[in-house]
Amino acid sequence: MTKFRDHIPAKEFLQRLESYRKGSITRRHFLGVTGLGAATAMLSSAMPGLVRRAHAQGSIGDKVVIATWPNYHDPQDFEAFKEATGAAVDMNVFGSNEEMLAKLQAGGTGWDVVVATNYTIPIYVGEGIIEEFDLSRLPNYDPSATDPRYANPGIVDGKRHAIPRNVGTTGFCLNTADFDGSPATWKEYWDLTRDQLSGRVIVHDYQLTAIGNALKYYGYSFNSVDPKELEDAEKLLIEAKPHLFAITSDYQPSMRSGDATMSMCWTGDATQMHRDIPSIVYILGREGGEIWSDFFTIPASAPHKDAAYALIDFLLEPKMAAREAMFHGYATGDKRVDALLPAEMRDSDILYPAAELLDALEFGAAVTMTNPQRAEILARFKSA
Amino acid sequence: MRIYAILVYLFLYIPIGIIALFSFNAGRHAAQFTGFSLQWYGTVLSNPFVIGALKTSVIVALSSAALATLSGTLAAVALQGVRGRMRAFYDALIYMAVMVPGIVIGIATLIALVTVFDVLNPMLSGLFGEGAPRLALGKGSLIAAHGLFTMALVTVIVRARLQGMDRALLEASSDLGAPPMRSFLQITLPQIAPAVLAGFLLSFTFSFDDFIIAFFVAGSETTLPIYVFSSIRRGVTPEINAIGTMVLVASLLTLVSAQVILRRRAR
Amino acid sequence: MRPGLRTALFLAPATAWLLVMLVMPLVVVIVFSFGERGAAGGYVPAFTLDNYANLGARWTAFRNTLTLAPLGTVLCLLIAWPLAYFLALKADPRWRTVLLILVIVPFWTSLLIRSYAWIQILGGSGLPRIIADLGLGKPRLINTPFAVMVGIVYGYLPLMVFPIYVALEKLDRRLLEASGDLGSPPWRTVLQVTLPLSMAGVATGSMLVFILLMGEFLVPQILGGGKVFFVGNALVDLFLQSRNWPFGAAVAATLVAVMLVTVTLYMRAIRRLSGGRDDVALM
Repeated sequence: MTKFRDHIPAKEFLQRLESYRKGSITRRHFLGVTGLGAATAMLSSAMPGLVRRAHAQGSIGDKVVIATWPNYHDPQDFEAFKEATGAAVDMNVFGSNEEMLAKLQAGGTGWDVVVATNYTIPIYVGEGIIEEFDLSRLPNYDPSATDPRYANPGIVDGKRHAIPRNVGTTGFCLNTADFDGSPATWKEYWDLTRDQLSGRVIVHDYQLTAIGNALKYYGYSFNSVDPKELEDAEKLLIEAKPHLFAITSDYQPSMRSGDATMSMCWTGDATQMHRDIPSIVYILGREGGEIWSDFFTIPASAPHKDAAYALIDFLLEPKMAAREAMFHGYATGDKRVDALLPAEMRDSDILYPAAELLDALEFGAAVTMTNPQRAEILARFKSA
Repeated sequence: MRIYAILVYLFLYIPIGIIALFSFNAGRHAAQFTGFSLQWYGTVLSNPFVIGALKTSVIVALSSAALATLSGTLAAVALQGVRGRMRAFYDALIYMAVMVPGIVIGIATLIALVTVFDVLNPMLSGLFGEGAPRLALGKGSLIAAHGLFTMALVTVIVRARLQGMDRALLEASSDLGAPPMRSFLQITLPQIAPAVLAGFLLSFTFSFDDFIIAFFVAGSETTLPIYVFSSIRRGVTPEINAIGTMVLVASLLTLVSAQVILRRRAR
Repeated sequence: MRPGLRTALFLAPATAWLLVMLVMPLVVVIVFSFGERGAAGGYVPAFTLDNYANLGARWTAFRNTLTLAPLGTVLCLLIAWPLAYFLALKADPRWRTVLLILVIVPFWTSLLIRSYAWIQILGGSGLPRIIADLGLGKPRLINTPFAVMVGIVYGYLPLMVFPIYVALEKLDRRLLEASGDLGSPPWRTVLQVTLPLSMAGVATGSMLVFILLMGEFLVPQILGGGKVFFVGNALVDLFLQSRNWPFGAAVAATLVAVMLVTVTLYMRAIRRLSGGRDDVALM
């Protein structure tokens, strides 16, 4: 890419845009001085409505902060956003929804965009943490392109509080180079943990999936808050503890280095690891487990709301979303984006599992997040 | 005895060596060395997130160390003349500031500041209307939270130095009719200077290295340790090794040049 | 300027700092510790002692911290003392400064990155592979209490070496020579003269390391694989995962209280050991 000058202040940008529209400068000159040329060249027609919208929204400021997951965005795409709009993206990375909620409850985060999972949306709305979306400011969002099953958790009391981003499942990954076997159920996962794979298995440091998938061992609901069922799950977790390699949601390093052989795993991590190390495969427990969708939300306290809308719209644009999907390895649930993905992603059974496997999966429930017994079980599990 | 020392130095330096060695790894993964390359240094230097985090860390560490050294030194000097209940009060507070674990400070500061901001912000916007300043977590809260511990540390260090100071000089100075301010500037200050400098360096190092307090009070700011922590989360790449090596080399260079300047002055 | 006014002016910034950033947050923590958890987490004002009654639920975390923190301190001390002794009394004086600086240099790489280096060393393709190649079995080192201990000793060793070195360096060499001249074997000189005289440094160093270890979070998190649970880890979980802030506040308040008690007792013991000399200060 050739070197273009850095972005210009938004005000100047608007003036230049005005001159361009009036015809006093040429398009090429306009793109050159505003630095938009770089972005345009790189993304070709990726952002058809950008110039118009940047104008419609006026100055969006020079900064936008997104709270999101590890390995979730290509930093280059944020660079492109900065080139296009002048707003630099700051990224805060988190390990769990609980952590984000805790910081939002405490306040003072300064976040403009928060990527949240389905089951947190009702809590965020209930606590007055996030705002309803003004869809007219997101021209790139097409509600009809996303399966309502994934999009609906974003609608609370008939109002759209969250815009779907990625969808996926929680299963487990296994390095078949280090273990000769083909477990297909959560029962096998926990049995292998306490037997042949002792010392080589990772469990998430996350109440929802660690406890949920232990519940599946007994065939209970992934979301159970029944005290008796939770007791069973706790017993299993504590029994498995001495056999675990680690309790962490950051399992990629250990899986890649070969220290761990099996780990609870999210779709995107599975795609990323499988791409580099083909012997790492992804398995959805046949009993079920979690299916989820992640959403863009805008906190009521966001200091840069205009930039937040601009960033979300920028990332929703199908070509950009496809670029991002190739980076993070999750399906977006957006048909327009699916069509742009390379064949090996579209055919991937990690991203698009067989229908009969999907039917057994459950969306996480908000109640798990606030249930005190689940929180205490995780603490006892970790300190055992 | 010497063999023992060599063993301890090996223990101290093998990990540092490994960090440095793997920063030159051509491969993406830290598990094995696949060839020599400088590419990770390029990656780091062209990564706006790293540069941004580094800037934040340097600004925060410099300001908190400067403020902590100034207030700590002033307090240590003033406390010399304070006795009785007042003295016990300050001693207890400074003792607490040194002792309360960073993690408690981080959590407590987060909750306390946010609660106070919630009260103050509406008042501010009531006073100044639309363009009112908004209090929020960020560099300011980082500087204040880091400086608490280091200010207490500076007070303790400078006080120890003041106690060891030759009081005869001060007395001689005032006997000769020098005003207290002049005695302070000409006699006390030069004597405590090494302690003040040591305090500043310690404060800078502490703030630059701190993760746990920043983790809670940084708001949307990202310091270098926070960046490194989230990168380790994302997976292990030699990028982290390159950052570590560069920070180490930079601090070594600072130290060596400081030594050289001090030696020249001494001559 | 009047001396009283000057004192007040000099003390003003430190006082403001201590009140706003120390006293106020600690008061808030104590207030929170008597509150109740909100339905969606967080804090709801109330007055209850339940959070303190419930402390037993984090007993394991306290037990781990109260065993591993003193153990780590002692290990640091055992490794640091002979090194400080060597540096102060045995090393070639021409090299002394360089050797001393070399002890501190690792301290300038962030604790995070240093711990991260140990992931590589203790991980499967590091030391365990070498041990296996030597035919000595296939040990697992990473994510064990052992790994946490290595990380702790490694991280805090310089903090221990330095004060002991300073104490030994100040020591009057004629005392050691006198002891030798009176026919004491060297080990007795070390035990009866050098060691007691280094107590000030030992007290300072072990205090610093102990204080830091009691609030440790990072090293167990990185090298313990989430399986070694300190009070620090319990606190992070209580605030960020289960969001039971009142209980978290109670745990935090208890941790501070435990530290106040242990550190004060320790200071007394050290003071008695060193015969009540007043050069044994906190720092």
